[in-house]
Amino acid sequence: MNEWIGTALTQKRDLLEPEAWALLAAYGIPVPKHRLVKTAAEAVAAAGAIGYPVVLKVVSQDILHKSDAGGVRVGLRDAEAVQAAYAGILKSVRAYQPNARVEGIFVCEMLPPGGVECIIGTTHDASFGPVVMVGLGGIFVEVLRDVSFRIPPLNKADALAMIGELKGAALLTGIRGQKPRDVEALADMLLRVARLVQENPEIEELDINPCIVYEAGAVPVDARVLLKSVF
Amino acid sequence: MPNLDTIRSLFYAKSVAVVGASANPSKTGYVILKNILEGGYAGAVYPINPGSESILGVPCAASLGDVPGAVDLVVIVVPARAVPDVMRQAVQKGAKGAIIISGGFREIGNAELEAEVMAIAEAGGIAVIGPNCQGVNYLPNKLCASWPLIETRGAMAVVSQSGTIGAAMGGWAAEDGLGVTATVALGNNSGVPVIDLMQFFAQEDDVRVIALNIEGVRDGRQFMEAARAVLQKKPLVLLKPGRTAKGAEAAQSHTKSIAGSDAVFDAACRQIGLIRAEGIAEFYDYSKILSLLPKPAGRRLAILTSSGGSGILAADVAEDLGIALPPLGEEAVQALREKLPPQCVLANPLDLTGDATADRYRVALEALSAYDVADCFLLIFGDPIAGAAEMADAVRQKLGKPIVVAFLGGGEVEKQEVPLLIRAGIPAYPTPERAVRAIGALLRKS
Repeated sequence: MNEWIGTALTQKRDLLEPEAWALLAAYGIPVPKHRLVKTAAEAVAAAGAIGYPVVLKVVSQDILHKSDAGGVRVGLRDAEAVQAAYAGILKSVRAYQPNARVEGIFVCEMLPPGGVECIIGTTHDASFGPVVMVGLGGIFVEVLRDVSFRIPPLNKADALAMIGELKGAALLTGIRGQKPRDVEALADMLLRVARLVQENPEIEELDINPCIVYEAGAVPVDARVLLKSVF
Repeated sequence: MPNLDTIRSLFYAKSVAVVGASANPSKTGYVILKNILEGGYAGAVYPINPGSESILGVPCAASLGDVPGAVDLVVIVVPARAVPDVMRQAVQKGAKGAIIISGGFREIGNAELEAEVMAIAEAGGIAVIGPNCQGVNYLPNKLCASWPLIETRGAMAVVSQSGTIGAAMGGWAAEDGLGVTATVALGNNSGVPVIDLMQFFAQEDDVRVIALNIEGVRDGRQFMEAARAVLQKKPLVLLKPGRTAKGAEAAQSHTKSIAGSDAVFDAACRQIGLIRAEGIAEFYDYSKILSLLPKPAGRRLAILTSSGGSGILAADVAEDLGIALPPLGEEAVQALREKLPPQCVLANPLDLTGDATADRYRVALEALSAYDVADCFLLIFGDPIAGAAEMADAVRQKLGKPIVVAFLGGGEVEKQEVPLLIRAGIPAYPTPERAVRAIGALLRKS
């Protein structure tokens, strides 16, 4: 069993975001630069090492929706902003959920604009077991349910076919003079996620939402891994 | 590897007992016995009924034990509570198969009774179809242990959880002159697994398509693997109701299958190249084309029509499905211009206009056969065009491409021509849209 999953199971919790990123990275998925810190000074040092601008996010097993809790600050351009964001996050989180345990603050590289937001997810079907999903992010997934599914194991043709099935696939392949995005990189991430959930049956659900697909490369921005409560 | 021999011995039974045979024409036990007899079954038939001397002129036995000869297959129509005892007698008699028509088991909460029956059958080595099913009609053995009696033999094997859907498929196929190899009703499907039946029909020489109606699969992955193997040999058309949340709810209570999320099931079908029908009409239409035609070499379709409006309807659906309607090309158009009357519209669709005869279609098709204009031809006969079938059959060789027909607005002529077309191996449909959707399914064949 994967060590992060093993630890989380013994502590009867899901994976924390840094653990989820580490799991993705272990499967060769290129995650943004990041560091988990415990003090404002550490946060400033981490931001300096990663390079500005950065994003700060709260790491807590008790908070399901980080943004709602005021636990995310983006576009931080200098040390002052990082210090203020660090204090601000702790204050907001305490106000939102006083008893929430805070494991630390996650300092991450802020990704450049110019990508198409997608979502990669997995779920567990009663009849088919693990199922992999891809969709276009934002309103496309939330309102239009523009998603497609496949059942692992996947081959590359399967991954490309599921991307091609999306009604909004043209957003990735290039419309109105836009350059095509790196569909191959998105397909590659799907293949890696499919292998990840197949090899780690303790996972109930995995969400990479969003992952940003650029002209070259695709990068996860937010990852969540939920474990089966009984395993 | 499933034991296909047990299925074979069930379908090719040399003797059949109908337990619960009845002299009352309104009873299932009467209808099944009558269908077995009238269907021309060549083996021994034994009605079992302690209260009758003979039914439909055949002497009755009081119980299975009283039957003088061997019994290969037992068809059970008695009430559920009596079935365990019948199954014990069947084991003693050395039967190889049982078709349990009777309902009153798992589907109404009597799971224990069903388990008891299945345990007796399993211990006794009896392959079971059902319970709670509409039986089996296996035409190579002229064994119609089902209803209604369908005798038109074809290349379509129908395996259906719903008895009515299976019977409808058989009925339409008979009416069309297409026929079926078999209809097998699954009911609660506690005995012979669906995937074993699929594998059995996949290796039967006279089966060209398997039409499968199920409401859910318990083990999705196992089903995918089995279907993948079947698809190497035969096309498989699937009808799985329960696309919507309400539909899925009905499926759960209907046969208590664990119907997974439909989007996931649909993805599994796409992944393995299984052709899923949207509804029962498409289920029949797709099975029909797949039992008659090979896959065209490409996605180019040429449409010849006597009805402009019908041609447009066909073109719309083709566009929706990504089927190409390429221009006919200058040379082909020139050749057509020399042979056809001036009112014809020389494009794709090629409108031969309302006074078109079978001969005008022949002239046009022969002219087109000299050019590589399409991979598949749709002939829309939108009028009472006599001799359409004979013409299409004759021109097919020269054309060297699959022909599909839509026949509509043809009155009595249409009723005569459609079965002739299908018997000649040319799938015919009552609307242009259904014909084009069927072509779309044919193009999805793996």
